[in-house]
Amino acid sequence: MVQTYHQFCDLATQLVTESRRSTASDTLFKYNDPLVRQIIREQRQLEAFIQSVLADSPETFTGETPALLIYQTTILRNKRCLLAYHNHRIERLKDMYWAVGGALPHLLSSADIRSKLSPLEVDFLKKYSSQVMDFRSEFSDELDIMAGITEPPKDLNVLVKVIRDCGVIQTELGSIDFRKGQRFMVRRADIEHLIVQGYLEEVQ
Amino acid sequence: MNKDCHDFAFTDLDDTQELPLQRLIRHWMNERHAPDILPIQAELLAGILDHIHKQSSTVNLLRTDPEASGDEHFRIMLAQTEIERVKFVVRSYVRTRLSKIEDYARWILSDSSLHGRLSETELKHAQSYADLLTTHFEESVLKALPGNQRSLDDKVIPPMVTPPDITKPVFVLARRDCPPVYLPDGTKMEMKKGQISLTQYRVIDSLLFQDHVELV
Repeated sequence: MVQTYHQFCDLATQLVTESRRSTASDTLFKYNDPLVRQIIREQRQLEAFIQSVLADSPETFTGETPALLIYQTTILRNKRCLLAYHNHRIERLKDMYWAVGGALPHLLSSADIRSKLSPLEVDFLKKYSSQVMDFRSEFSDELDIMAGITEPPKDLNVLVKVIRDCGVIQTELGSIDFRKGQRFMVRRADIEHLIVQGYLEEVQ
Repeated sequence: MNKDCHDFAFTDLDDTQELPLQRLIRHWMNERHAPDILPIQAELLAGILDHIHKQSSTVNLLRTDPEASGDEHFRIMLAQTEIERVKFVVRSYVRTRLSKIEDYARWILSDSSLHGRLSETELKHAQSYADLLTTHFEESVLKALPGNQRSLDDKVIPPMVTPPDITKPVFVLARRDCPPVYLPDGTKMEMKKGQISLTQYRVIDSLLFQDHVELV
């Protein structure tokens, strides 16, 4: 096997650097499956090293095998980096989920985003979404906890321009068929989710 | 602290005169500023939600009333706007808590003395979220590792269960004269009503729990 790294944990450092770059550039990168697998391979290898050292050494720890300590530290560090990488991605995905007001189908229908997720992450998002929906259903219909919390509402109504057709929507004024290019004055609460998802745009 | 500041009269710091909405806003700001999860204001929240519900039905009733004059319609609009704004605060309060609960789910679950700070729904969410995250880690990483590396509770530093950072600095406003607290270097600090200090959260957390102070 050709060693593509020179030092223990080099790969894990690469993985964590990727997370840092992701935060710094505010982008979601493609799930780095090859690198994750490589690190897991390194972990198995380290485990084998440990076993072979143990097999050669006496029953009680005499301090004659400092290699053990190095292997063990490496294992812990690699593992921590792996978990940190996955946790970082989950946090990012959750941010994206809330940024579109919890519209998961909208998020997953984008081929660009979909291609960057691992199948397990798609699973996670689906289950997370259903948990949040459970939580939301504990509140009455009047209070949608999923709606935006970045800007406090200043006006009841808002003038919107339709960017993409989004079909017939029930509003306080009855149902409205939003078609591209039209403008409407509507209750903010009724259509806020459509603004978030990019169907409508607020006219200033 | 000079005298002018005292004259700025923090009369609204008086508990008896505080309206439910003002209380909600105070707890909302506390929750937004505190690194730790604070006790849920269940009663207050229920009262406000109830009030929103009543107001909305009254407004809906009035709106369809053909007798209503232009003036009344204007008042209805004001009421509706106010409802939307109150909802915003409630939503932000609930969501702030939700985000902390998710961040510290495993820490909260590991210490049952914290469970009382959460509503039943929140505790349920903490549990299911912690399970979900653990499953995700297991499926994507731990499962592939050799057997003795699969635990999520290694005794390492920093610990694998993240607690909130209670050394975070906060601006704190005394709502009344406070009992003394001790700063990290051991000096005693006694805050007078209306005084604002910048200090570590852990210094004043007990004052916050007793409503002696608020975070600003």
